[in-house]
Amino acid sequence: MKLLEVQNNQLFNIDAIHFLGKDEFRNTVAVLMQNGNRMIALTPIDKSDPQKIIAVLSDSSSSMIGVVGGDFSKGKLEFESWANDFPQTHYFECELSENYGYVPVNHPWLRPVRKQNVILGNKPYQFFKLEGEEIHEVAVGPIHAGVIEPGHFRFQCHGELVYNLEINLGYQHRGVEKLFLQSSPNQQIILSESIAGDTTIGHTFAHCNAIECLSHTQLSLRAEVVRTIASEIERIAMHLSGLGGIANDIGFALPASSYGRLRTLAINSLASICGSRSGRGLFIYGGVRFDLNDEIINTVVNNLKIVQNDVRQVNEYLFSSVGALSRLEETGIVKKDLAQNVGLVGLAARSSGLEEDARIHFPYSAYRYNPISMITLSTGDVFARARLRALEIDEALRFIFDQIENLPQGEIKSDIGNVTANSGAISIIEGWRGEIAHIVFTDEKRNLLNYKIKDPSFNNWYGLSLALRETAISDFPLCNKSFDLSYAGHDL
Amino acid sequence: MGIEILQGIISIIVILGVAPMFAGMVNKQKAILTGRIGAPIWQPYYDLRRLFKKETINAASSSFISRISPILNLVTLITAAAMLPVGFWKPLISFNGDIILFAYILGLARFFQILAAMDIGSSFEGMGAAREATFALFAEPIFFFTIGSISFISGLTSLYDIYHSIQLTNISYEVFIVICSISVFMLAVTECSRMPVDDPNTHLELTMIHEVMILDNSGFDLFLYQYSSYIKLFIYAVLEISFFYPFSKQSYLLGIIIFISGSVGLTFVLGIVETITSRYRMKNIPQYLLFATAIGILNLLIYTFTK
Repeated sequence: MKLLEVQNNQLFNIDAIHFLGKDEFRNTVAVLMQNGNRMIALTPIDKSDPQKIIAVLSDSSSSMIGVVGGDFSKGKLEFESWANDFPQTHYFECELSENYGYVPVNHPWLRPVRKQNVILGNKPYQFFKLEGEEIHEVAVGPIHAGVIEPGHFRFQCHGELVYNLEINLGYQHRGVEKLFLQSSPNQQIILSESIAGDTTIGHTFAHCNAIECLSHTQLSLRAEVVRTIASEIERIAMHLSGLGGIANDIGFALPASSYGRLRTLAINSLASICGSRSGRGLFIYGGVRFDLNDEIINTVVNNLKIVQNDVRQVNEYLFSSVGALSRLEETGIVKKDLAQNVGLVGLAARSSGLEEDARIHFPYSAYRYNPISMITLSTGDVFARARLRALEIDEALRFIFDQIENLPQGEIKSDIGNVTANSGAISIIEGWRGEIAHIVFTDEKRNLLNYKIKDPSFNNWYGLSLALRETAISDFPLCNKSFDLSYAGHDL
Repeated sequence: MGIEILQGIISIIVILGVAPMFAGMVNKQKAILTGRIGAPIWQPYYDLRRLFKKETINAASSSFISRISPILNLVTLITAAAMLPVGFWKPLISFNGDIILFAYILGLARFFQILAAMDIGSSFEGMGAAREATFALFAEPIFFFTIGSISFISGLTSLYDIYHSIQLTNISYEVFIVICSISVFMLAVTECSRMPVDDPNTHLELTMIHEVMILDNSGFDLFLYQYSSYIKLFIYAVLEISFFYPFSKQSYLLGIIIFISGSVGLTFVLGIVETITSRYRMKNIPQYLLFATAIGILNLLIYTFTK
């Protein structure tokens, strides 16, 4: 098979990609997926020349990332869709079609990803509609009763039971990928901090990894450890807020406010490191901007010790409450094979029993030397997603205390060179929600050719639709909160 | 006669005036129990004043039902409030058989609210109306099996007479009152859309029962709905407090003390219940309501076997 195999954060030359003809391209990708690879991106190399596309597929078992090129310069921008056999590609094909006018032939459900009123294929998109006398449709959003991000949800219901949920997003489309191409390197890092407000560190981490890889920058061990500590603190903070949200959605006021209080401690720890509670300004190319001195370490350790002690008690209270368990268990189930077929990532995949963790399968930064344990649960319901958060908080705390105890010495910043011309890099990291991938290509003049971002929400929104099947409509907010997906990260 | 009417008028004014504060106190309790300072107990009054001043905007698809429903709601609830005793004072409206009027005048309020919700034509409101109607079906027997069983036992059919005629001569009566107060509490929780049946603080439109029906109302109409819901909560609180009157002698002062301490005590109970319970899954709510009905039936059984 003609494909380029690279590792996470490995520089490669664009010329090393084999560009295959239409049919060969399709077959190669199909074979790879047959072998258990998962699609990460389907995008042109050059945004202004969409005829050459690449499919990026990751293989968790060998930690390799396959890049398959396809050349469509002869003939129409058409290919036979994979989505009928591999539903995980469905959304990637829609995205490619929406952005560059490709037509996936025989695609089962070609729908807009971000743009409203866009014509895909040849007819305007109509929302899926169930027919029947007792069927009713409930459309929610994009403006909601509470102050939350915009998303449009269409439920096809029979009484309280949901048969189908269709999610329409894109109301927060800001053109982030395009902005990357237009901005200077100093602006890019700030841009990456604001891709999704709740994953500031995750996206910045991925962005810095990609740029450092392109510029052959070696980081000091200390800088890498500080980065992973910050990333784990973000995980703790967001998992606490997720658990609080779940407790709040079942109206369980006591744990909800306790988790809220503990989250403050976690984000204050981040603030004590870099002055921003969401971790803005911590990352710079070549390292981190702020070092950990004894005073900061003390604050962080003290805060996190309180979190460790209290979260154990609150978890015990929440997960032993009969009322809470009756709400959480067997609500919004996504079975393992379904999760695998639609390509769920991160937290949602692990709670369905899939072993998907970029920190383990595609180790990067300090995770290469300091492994983290894989935690999976098998039931795939709201309970599993809540419980997994609790377990991951414990593991993240263990990891942080471990790292702080053995903090390596060294500079926190290395000099950064120019980016390599005519090259590409794929950077995968595990944000708190799941796999974040940043794929970047440069041209001969060292300018960015394309910058592709894949937020875990892109994969997992579809999982939420599936979780809602045969579930009561009144359980939707709970299921939604258990996935806790980003609108901004999806809409870009 | 004149003095009784005056007492009745004072009673109704007290109920109408104190009702928002009762809701404010529950919220304050809840805030304190979850480690927050919370809004002042006067907050519902501020909210009502704010809504009072605002303009009403009705959906273009709505008919006259939407316009008359809020005011009908308030009027019916005030009428229901006028049947309840404050302390040992005779309420304004009191006659033999008024428990039936009391139950169905609250039913009338709900009927118009459901109609108004469907009138707007939004799918949410329709969903909320369906839920409200379904759970009302299960809530009605609770009222008749608890209040009805007391009425059956005492042979009286007026709320005022029932509460004031119970003589604690037999130990089974005390058991009786405890059981009744439990099922009236469960009824109150359901009717006033509090936890664990409905979450009054949720912003999630798909899980709401009562709140979703008034989602499209604004301004003065919303003021009327909100005020009615405060009154409704307090009506059920008074219904609950009244169970304690038989424990004291018939004196005005004692009656007032029971009324005040009962209200405050009830805010504690509601606050604690709302803090430590999670909401039930919607399909389990009928079970919860049937349980309360079963308690009412238990009353009748206790009476039959201890007579």
